[in-house]
Amino acid sequence: MNTELEQRLRADMEHATSGVRVPPGLALKAYRHYRKRTITTRAVAAAGTAAVLTAGALGVAEVTGAFGQPAGGAQARTTAYVISRVEHALSAPDMANMVAYTRTVYPAGFTLHPVPGGVNGSGGPAASSPRAGGYEVLWAYHRSTNLSFFTASGQRVFGERITVGEKSLATSVVTYASHTWWKAQSARPAGTRSGSAGCLPGGEIRLNGSPSAWPDFIHSQLACGAYSVAGRQLIDGVDALKITGGSGQITLWVNPVTYLPMELEQGGITQVDFQWLAPTRANLAMLNMPVPASFHQVVPPA
Amino acid sequence: MGSDRAADLESFLAERGELLLRTAVLLAGSREAGEDLLQAALERLLRRWRTIEGDPEGYLRRTLYHLAADNWRQQRAWRTRLRLLQPGAGTAVADGTAEVDLRDSLVRLLRQLPPRQRAAIVARYWEQLSEAESAQALGCSVGTVKSATSRGLARLRELSESSGSSEPAIQGSTRGRS
Repeated sequence: MNTELEQRLRADMEHATSGVRVPPGLALKAYRHYRKRTITTRAVAAAGTAAVLTAGALGVAEVTGAFGQPAGGAQARTTAYVISRVEHALSAPDMANMVAYTRTVYPAGFTLHPVPGGVNGSGGPAASSPRAGGYEVLWAYHRSTNLSFFTASGQRVFGERITVGEKSLATSVVTYASHTWWKAQSARPAGTRSGSAGCLPGGEIRLNGSPSAWPDFIHSQLACGAYSVAGRQLIDGVDALKITGGSGQITLWVNPVTYLPMELEQGGITQVDFQWLAPTRANLAMLNMPVPASFHQVVPPA
Repeated sequence: MGSDRAADLESFLAERGELLLRTAVLLAGSREAGEDLLQAALERLLRRWRTIEGDPEGYLRRTLYHLAADNWRQQRAWRTRLRLLQPGAGTAVADGTAEVDLRDSLVRLLRQLPPRQRAAIVARYWEQLSEAESAQALGCSVGTVKSATSRGLARLRELSESSGSSEPAIQGSTRGRS
């Protein structure tokens, strides 16, 4: 290393990575993914066998226990069985009263941009925006959501709070780089009314209204065959039901009792981790999005 | 083996993980991507656990470089984001947030280099490997390391001079190293 460029490069590398620590659980996460791949291979083979042996509108997916071993007892459970369990879960009294927390990690090159009533996303591996490759944290409760998008290095890019009304959506956005904020009222788009999402054979995920719509969504997609049960796995040591859709592009791991999602993976790239929390004062406070005093209000984008 | 293997890996990372992650962050271009890269390398290590002879760190390090040089992220299929709750998806519009995170300008410019050039530069100037060691880590010839390093540095110089940042201009003068 003998030029000023090389010296500065070394110093910048040192600075850029100072304070980097291995996050706790990285080894376990790698181990889980390694196991998932192994199990998926086995599950595909098992599903192929079941398809040959059975017929019917719903089809049957053989459910195996964690790590490919039989679950014990009634080892082969049908999709119909799962549907009946979801219906049972839907009637649980506290189902609609949970605070949802999700953390979504996006691949490099991805950018998000808030607009009235939602967020637009774009990008690809080649994009080079400093916002790219970030993650999103979403808090949701009943019909309110508070979403924050961060750069990969953890800098908050924007916060967006949306409240869904009967006929309209109220959106507030704080953009940190420009020290600005805006709010807007927009018409509630068609197709977002409460109730069943209908059959979405492309594997699309569409929820109507609140986080508690997840079990309803899972129920409707399993019933119409857009998703199917692919097995059982341990997620963070907790038993989970694996459900796939969209020609295998979407994989959901759901709690086999509540049918709330625990983890979601799309195309092997985007990963969403879920937590379902009690509506304590602290958790509900996460729905708030304070605007810093020095920020000024601007006109919302069209 | 199962959870024992995860525990072994955890204790190995507690000891050697920081340096590996710092390398991964530089190779991948961001902390988040670096963690992903290290995780991908760990998964490969787990797949080969029984057959690896000798030092697992050496295998892990080589895997990091191989994955980075092969541009592992771009080999994965691209999918647009999931809509979890809010409706609407389309094309993003610039909103001025490009000013975020302008620290470490050369490292930022490093992200713009092709993966193999970036990997060669990280091997040579971060890990201070010799050309032969770098070639072994990248799985290529010494000649390839030389040319990738030289082109990468030239490109970095070019990018740095044209970036217009507040950083001082880079001089090409040669200085001795103690």
